[in-house]
Amino acid sequence: MLVKEGEYLFLEGDKASSLVIVKSGMLVGTSKQFRKSKFQNFGPGSLIGEFSILESRPREYTVRAAENSEVLFIEQKDLMRELEHKPGWFRSTLSFLASHCHTAEENSRKMRIVQALPALLFLFKNHLDVSGSDNITLALLQQKMLVLDNVDYADTEKLLQILEGLEMLRIEGDLVRVSNLQIVPMLYDALQFRALNKQVSPDILPITDQLVLTTFVKAVRENGISIRGTRTTVSADLFIAQAKKTMFGSLTMRTLAPLLQNGMLEAEPAYSEATTLEAIESISGDFEHILDLLELNRIFPLLDKKLV
Amino acid sequence: MNGNSRQQVIPPTRSRVKAGFVVYSPESDTRELIILDKGELVAVDKSNGDREIKFKMHPGDIVGVASLFEREPLRYTIEASEDSEVTILSEECLESELKNIPVWLLATLRSLSVRTRELKQGAKRTPVENSLKSLAEYCAHLDSNIKYPLEEFIREFNWLTRIPAATIKGDVKALLRRNFIGLTKDGEDLYLQVHNATLMQIYSDYLHAQDEGTLWSPLRLNLAQKRILVHLTTLDDHVQMEAPEWIAYLTRKGLAIDVSQWITLEDLGCFVAGEENKYHIDQAKVEYYLTAIRYDSNLRGAV
Repeated sequence: MLVKEGEYLFLEGDKASSLVIVKSGMLVGTSKQFRKSKFQNFGPGSLIGEFSILESRPREYTVRAAENSEVLFIEQKDLMRELEHKPGWFRSTLSFLASHCHTAEENSRKMRIVQALPALLFLFKNHLDVSGSDNITLALLQQKMLVLDNVDYADTEKLLQILEGLEMLRIEGDLVRVSNLQIVPMLYDALQFRALNKQVSPDILPITDQLVLTTFVKAVRENGISIRGTRTTVSADLFIAQAKKTMFGSLTMRTLAPLLQNGMLEAEPAYSEATTLEAIESISGDFEHILDLLELNRIFPLLDKKLV
Repeated sequence: MNGNSRQQVIPPTRSRVKAGFVVYSPESDTRELIILDKGELVAVDKSNGDREIKFKMHPGDIVGVASLFEREPLRYTIEASEDSEVTILSEECLESELKNIPVWLLATLRSLSVRTRELKQGAKRTPVENSLKSLAEYCAHLDSNIKYPLEEFIREFNWLTRIPAATIKGDVKALLRRNFIGLTKDGEDLYLQVHNATLMQIYSDYLHAQDEGTLWSPLRLNLAQKRILVHLTTLDDHVQMEAPEWIAYLTRKGLAIDVSQWITLEDLGCFVAGEENKYHIDQAKVEYYLTAIRYDSNLRGAV
């Protein structure tokens, strides 16, 4: 079949069950999934529509002849006729290769979204930092993701929707608004620490530490303790009483000590190795920072699940 | 293109195997396609010294396709978990069969395996096509008052984009040549400092416009419009006037401006519409364009 320069062979999404082989000339394929500057050339020997002949899939591209070209159509019935003479394993091999290719496409798409997360957090945290606002326009973020990491607009939006599912942000029409200004940079730092140092960030806490901090937060909230500046102090009695409910009575000096040692919490009198639980009069900490840490520790383990 | 010159086909090997028989070992150099006709096979991972069953095969299942077509080694030991019957196709057997299929079908098989291989390899590569543009965008978000340790800078940027460190170093040199960044040495360590983050943003936008094949906005400005921009920097950005008043005002200042030029400047974002059809100056935008014009030769790499 001859296709004159400028003529369309078919449109993206057209129903199809044939394979096209380019015998001569040049055809150009474009797709709505590509940006307008992106296209695929099909020169002599190129195949178009492997999945159309194998699985009757709609056309992946809109294909137009860039110059006078000659193409050959192979219909699905030609394939069936050929397979009739082949051993059973041949058909299985063909369908395995097709499904393996689909799996690779799906994995590649997922991987692109996973790999785009650090770039998104980087752009987001810097924008929030410089602008002082809690939002960025979706179009600007998409544009910058394209420039920084060549992430398509649709993938950026998909990634944002995943983060929205984690309640990290909200997509409000043209705006993307963060729920908590501190979480984006904290998450970026935790991911970066894990990637570059091959170990868990100090901000990602063991479950026991999270329980102790949750106890602190609940003790403050449920007893109406006021927050002066950024630090809040809870009496040891209230803290231990709360721990009985939150930690099912498992608060010991051993579970509390790591947080006192790393300064996340402070004891009065000051902590030393000889300190006993009974000797502590009060416990204080940076309430807002502790809330942010707990939020980070809520999101962090969910990220991998949501992304993969 | 039907390739119907039939050649001798090497037949596959059909075997009966007892439970526990190793049908395929990853230590062997052979690449085979194994089809289970009867019984049950298991794929066992022994790489960690342990014995972990990865999957079970049932009659009709096939293993080794990726090994034969995509040159992806089969990592697991295939064992019979009960007495079974298997068909084994060696590489030679497959090739002899492939010689007897039409060229278009062979090309389809190859195309599927090449596409799969490229997708797998692509996941390990950076998706970035213009690494210099990406680096410029990254630098546009850095603080020009901070000296960043070069090694850490490269590691973080590599983590973000998967651009290889050698490419990043080359691009750092390209920015250095354009005087967009500076490198200083302190002891054994090198530090990178961005001179002007806005300029880096401009450079990133410039490269992006080139990639997209679009006319970069500052290049749309003619001499008269550039003069107007310079004058606008002397004004307060709170000044608000309707479009005809702006045109009249600029004309009084000896800056020739007609309606089409006004529309261009508005289109470029130098004037922002406010309430009651009044426009005020977007000084950040004006500064962006003037900086682009001022550093034109640096942007083009002509320094």
